[in-house]
Amino acid sequence: MHIPDGLMAPAVSAFGWLIAILFIALSVRLLNRKLDDRQITLMAVLAAGIFVAQMLNFPIGGGTTGHLIGAALASVILGPLAAMLILTVILVIQGLVFGDGGLTALGLNILNMAIIGCLVGWYAYRAFPQRSQTAGILAAAWLSVFASAFACSAELALSYSLSGGAYGISGVIAFPTMLVSHAVIGIGEAIITGGIVAYLAKVSPGMLRLPKLAYLNSEKEAVADA
Amino acid sequence: MRELLTRKSVKIFAAIIIIFAVGLVGFYIFSAPYGDGLETTMDEADFAESEPAYEGPLDYGENYIASLAFGIIGFIITLLVVFMLARLLKKNEA
Repeated sequence: MHIPDGLMAPAVSAFGWLIAILFIALSVRLLNRKLDDRQITLMAVLAAGIFVAQMLNFPIGGGTTGHLIGAALASVILGPLAAMLILTVILVIQGLVFGDGGLTALGLNILNMAIIGCLVGWYAYRAFPQRSQTAGILAAAWLSVFASAFACSAELALSYSLSGGAYGISGVIAFPTMLVSHAVIGIGEAIITGGIVAYLAKVSPGMLRLPKLAYLNSEKEAVADA
Repeated sequence: MRELLTRKSVKIFAAIIIIFAVGLVGFYIFSAPYGDGLETTMDEADFAESEPAYEGPLDYGENYIASLAFGIIGFIITLLVVFMLARLLKKNEA
């Protein structure tokens, strides 16, 4: 779902940059001086793992493929603030080093996959009670992909409307095509995310008990999560 | 940097790279010729992709060996950048 250059209207791309900068700046501010050595190592390893996982597209039928985004996975393990930061770094490296995703569209890619993906993944996961944690993880993974795809569809439709068809894609095509394919890709995301979290819970449960910092939980709650 | 080079971390890196190397075989068998959901949507709308405003110095490779090598390079770059960035946000030792 990496948006290339030239697809979105300049105003929509600029909006993406603005929102991305605001959220990332706020995340950095809230994380500042709160990470410990275990979280730092886990962030680095998880980010590198998500980077290579994003290279492994899987077929979903109809000549279309999808890949793990990893936003819900990172949020469930690290909390949304650290997750947003690592997804942002992955997207920046993909754009700057590997030319994957346009540079002008990088703000929108951060908004869709890092910000919306992580926040929807985290709050969907938190909405489930502790005893339904597995269902929460699966739902969070699927919803994070679907919400990212919905945002991307809306940006395509808005670009199309604002530019009179010079940019973007009509909502009549964008919404059904994007949402149907990503509803299926989301199932793959849920299976992979659920599998990884279940494996970590078995071999290294301590990894899942590290403090998780979020926008709406206080420092006390974050520590209680540990 | 020492935290990244413990025996446990190195084992995890090796496991991720092995899973990636195996998964890449599946990618080249089943997925390589096809686009993702957004590319399918662009095809459906007959939207021709324009020249990128910027091209990165590397790509993901066109064959298994190149993709494996570039994947490992990306893995190392991401690992180090996130590690260094997170170190800047480290908790103050009391």
